[in-house]
Amino acid sequence: MKRFEEFVYKILDSKKNKMLVVLITLLALVGSIMMLPTKIVKAKMLPGKSDNTFSIYIDTPTGSSIEQTKKVAQCVIDSLKDEKEIINMELYAGMGIPLDYAGLVKGSGMKNSENVAEIAVNLTDKHERDETSYMMVHRLRPIVKKKCEPLVKGTVIKFIEQPAGPPTLASLVVEVTGDNLKKIRELSFQVANILSKVPKVVDVDIMADDIYKKYELIPNKDKIAKSGLTVDQVNKIIYLAFEGMVIAHKNSAKEPDQVNIFLVLDPQTKKFNTKSLEALKDKLSSMHLMNRMGMLVPLTEVVDIKEVPSNPMIMHKDLRRMINVIAEADEESQVYPLLEARDRMIKYFSKHGYKVEKEPGMSTYMFDLHLTDKKTGEKFLLRWDGEMKVTLDTFRDLGGAFIGALVLIFLLLVIYYKSYTLSGIVLAGSFLSIIGVIVGHWVADLVTRDTFFLTATSLIGFIALMGISSRNSLLLIDFAKALMEAHGIKKRRAIAIASATRAKPIFLTAIAIILGSALLASDPIFGGLGVALISGTVAAVFVSLIFVPVLLDNTKAMNFDDEIPYHHDKSNISITK
Amino acid sequence: MVNYTPKDWAGKLAKGFLTNPLTSVLGIAILILGFISLEIMPREEDPQIAISGGSVIVPMPGASPKEVENVIVNPLERKLREIQGIKHIYGMAMNNVGIVNVVYKIGERREDANLKLYDKVMQNMDKMPKGVMQPLVKPFDIDIDIPILTVAFYPIKGTKVNYEKLFKITRKIQQKVNAVKNVAKTTLVGAHKPQFNVEVDLNKLSGYHLSLGQIMKAVQSIAVDVPDVKGRTKTKKLLMFGVKNAIESVDDLKNVIVASYMGSPIYLKDVAKVTRGIDFQNFKKTYITFKKGKNLEELRKAKFSPLKEQITLTVAKLKGTNAVFVAHDVIKLLNSMKEQLHKEGIGFVITRDYGKRANDAVNELVDHLLITIAIIAVMLIFALGFKEAMIVTFTVPAILAITLFIAFIGGQTINRITLFAFLLSLGLLVDAAIIVIENIHRHLHSHESEEKPMDVLLVEATDEIGPPTNIATLAIIMTMIPMLFVGGMMGAFMKPIPLNVPVALIASLVVAYIFTPYLSYKLLKKPVHKHHHHHQKHKKENPS
Repeated sequence: MKRFEEFVYKILDSKKNKMLVVLITLLALVGSIMMLPTKIVKAKMLPGKSDNTFSIYIDTPTGSSIEQTKKVAQCVIDSLKDEKEIINMELYAGMGIPLDYAGLVKGSGMKNSENVAEIAVNLTDKHERDETSYMMVHRLRPIVKKKCEPLVKGTVIKFIEQPAGPPTLASLVVEVTGDNLKKIRELSFQVANILSKVPKVVDVDIMADDIYKKYELIPNKDKIAKSGLTVDQVNKIIYLAFEGMVIAHKNSAKEPDQVNIFLVLDPQTKKFNTKSLEALKDKLSSMHLMNRMGMLVPLTEVVDIKEVPSNPMIMHKDLRRMINVIAEADEESQVYPLLEARDRMIKYFSKHGYKVEKEPGMSTYMFDLHLTDKKTGEKFLLRWDGEMKVTLDTFRDLGGAFIGALVLIFLLLVIYYKSYTLSGIVLAGSFLSIIGVIVGHWVADLVTRDTFFLTATSLIGFIALMGISSRNSLLLIDFAKALMEAHGIKKRRAIAIASATRAKPIFLTAIAIILGSALLASDPIFGGLGVALISGTVAAVFVSLIFVPVLLDNTKAMNFDDEIPYHHDKSNISITK
Repeated sequence: MVNYTPKDWAGKLAKGFLTNPLTSVLGIAILILGFISLEIMPREEDPQIAISGGSVIVPMPGASPKEVENVIVNPLERKLREIQGIKHIYGMAMNNVGIVNVVYKIGERREDANLKLYDKVMQNMDKMPKGVMQPLVKPFDIDIDIPILTVAFYPIKGTKVNYEKLFKITRKIQQKVNAVKNVAKTTLVGAHKPQFNVEVDLNKLSGYHLSLGQIMKAVQSIAVDVPDVKGRTKTKKLLMFGVKNAIESVDDLKNVIVASYMGSPIYLKDVAKVTRGIDFQNFKKTYITFKKGKNLEELRKAKFSPLKEQITLTVAKLKGTNAVFVAHDVIKLLNSMKEQLHKEGIGFVITRDYGKRANDAVNELVDHLLITIAIIAVMLIFALGFKEAMIVTFTVPAILAITLFIAFIGGQTINRITLFAFLLSLGLLVDAAIIVIENIHRHLHSHESEEKPMDVLLVEATDEIGPPTNIATLAIIMTMIPMLFVGGMMGAFMKPIPLNVPVALIASLVVAYIFTPYLSYKLLKKPVHKHHHHHQKHKKENPS
């Protein structure tokens, strides 16, 4: 204790030493903060979470049959069959798996068409398994995609992991917004193309229907009327013949549900020979309708057949036409591929006839790009949504919360000390724990196998630390003040004694916090919080025992030694008795 | 009565409870309440985030996407935009149908949100374009929509269970499962209903000179249900007779006369294949492949079964109920039926169990919490001494018990984030108690307190450190408060931290002021003679 007291006193007693302490602290602060832009410490909203399940979404091109989709799904399942850790797989063809959190925002519950399928893959318990689910996905993704995507051209296979926090549509989402449908379709393909070339970006998908060839039967109203039929009748019969309809039902005591009577053409006879106009005409000519006079009229007589491209779905978001391009970041925070992709987009679109402007100002849409077609003057917007938006929103809000915490603590201290300088010192001291937080993440990243990200939970840890380290400084000031007032000790000596005496409880509570957070640090999601608390507390100890005394020594607000000790509040000195 | 007048509420609390016989009862009561809360509070893995929203589906047969966009989606979007509290509106214009989804801001009450949406659509029914069918308003309901349990039923190899029988039996199981306490929505995914399939041969149709319409009418005219008919006899008595639905079996359907051709009747079976089967027009199908093994090693080595058709039963729970209990009850029910099902040739695999997941997550964290408490206790033994360390260690479960109980009353659930809030505050919680016990310890060994009676000394020691401890704790609470206002999904996700940490900190103060002096009174003795190392400390504090 005595030695530490002398150590602190020595620092305070020499101007050179004091400068040195301030300099080292500032260097450490700048150095640690620089770790963020230089990507030594990477930021992400939430890290991956190992789970006992993941799912695979299969999208064959719009217009594919359920048989084609199932073929791809079968391939996926076959290529996963040798995985030791998988205990069962469920295939849901033509629909989504029973709703889960990931599926909630990814629209899996709305899936209802022949070109979709989802597979739920259940694994052994995560504690019994060495490989985390996200590592497994990382390993399997390229194998499965390479093998099964070529089976049906245009198929996209996506691996979906359970989100660690709130679910988002995808980690990378670009909303291509504009009025010209054809153009935004074109743009979205270009965006997808750029995204798929960025390293670590996987599962790129354009959320728009593919355009395929289809045939339109146009009822010829004149002919229908002349042959004694009705348009309604014609439409109904065509549907009945090829799609079939429930024409009657029957209740029964023996059945759990109503039994329907379903009428359709025999699959053998309704099959077309080829996928062509002729085959369709041929088939329709053998179908007859009965008119009012009881005569049979061939169907081809009353309809015209035309080949047309299919009409893709039109998507709106907030009343504007939009096409989503989504992608996932593989084992990486979405921030860095996003910035990379954005740079490439700026280059690409500037070269290809667009004027590219960045979103002005600071907002959570600050990465958006405005495109203007140089020829037509049409405007388009590339908006980043998905995890990036949530991340920016969260970091903005947490930043706001942090500033709020600063202000509240400052006010509390001003009320307590009635001095702005002292309150400022306490605040500065507690802010410095950021050095520990960032360095701690860097060390954690070095010792762990995966990338250890600075996450939203790290920020929460940092905010909590503010309170802890301000408490350290607070008790220190209290103690020194009391020594000066009650015992008339000189300011410099009093500060040295205070920091030496407070060292024990400060260490004690620091150890309690470190031990308390040790188990937290191993958690995938709250690891950031744990690491922030542990390393931040270490930094806070040094800051409050060495740096804060230096500041205190230099401030006049701390000059209690020459005050007459009769008007002070008695309770403030009590702990030093 | 303690002969000392405290200045701070720290001392007042200490004084009030120090000699009160009910203090021990209070301590035990707190621990019991906490334990009960831990056991019966609904458990879940992640906190529920209430996302309110819904879809409005408007069918318009025969319209192309662009028509739907103009006639349905655009006007509907404009109208829905008028609703307060909406975050995003997504419109989809497809062939034949327009869908508009609305997503409310996080925190919007679901009931209000649904009502507003419904109201807006109903108010504007008069503006509906012609040729548009009745709009369908479907609110999202996450509690009910996300199943906590899914079970796959499949036919066992080598038994003659066909799909129809599988459906019949799973439907019966669904009925039973739905009767389990707190089970909300159950569905059978991939279920195919039985149906009579009439597959008409196009060539025969033209051969007999028939149209599809005729066949449809012929079947429809026979498949009707008629109430019983009363007839009268000559002797004025009633003769009751019922007309049975003419179609009872496939054979009835086969023998429906469709038309007559050259004087002889044409039966349905002449022109069509009539079978009893499943609704094959429904393309949705579910399959499963799984491994079997008694333990993990066997499971890892086992081979996958071939992909077979299955029916998945999904089970959701009522809002605010304990997923652990619901899942447990349903699984118990299923296991009791296992033998019977096996005899009938049906097996099942549980493919999702959020109840177990939530329970595991919670139990794991409770273990972590206990380990951490133990580690801190060991550290305190070295720093403060055995009895003092025990006193501080007791305060931790007491604080957590109070916090849990308050969370329970506040309608929170136990989830990972709640427990993280506890882990996070653990390091801070022992602080108040450490400060109190340290001061008590110092007073016990100081020269000045030799003459003071034990109770006065304890209250005084507690009272002394009141103000700075209060301020320090308040500072930490201050940092947590702004976190309450973090918006969005993440804010809702993290909410248990700013909700519970301040409560835990306040509880830590109260417990430290009440129980630390109380337990010290019971456990600690005033030392008879002074230790010399305190002498040294004493000297340092009075440097001259």
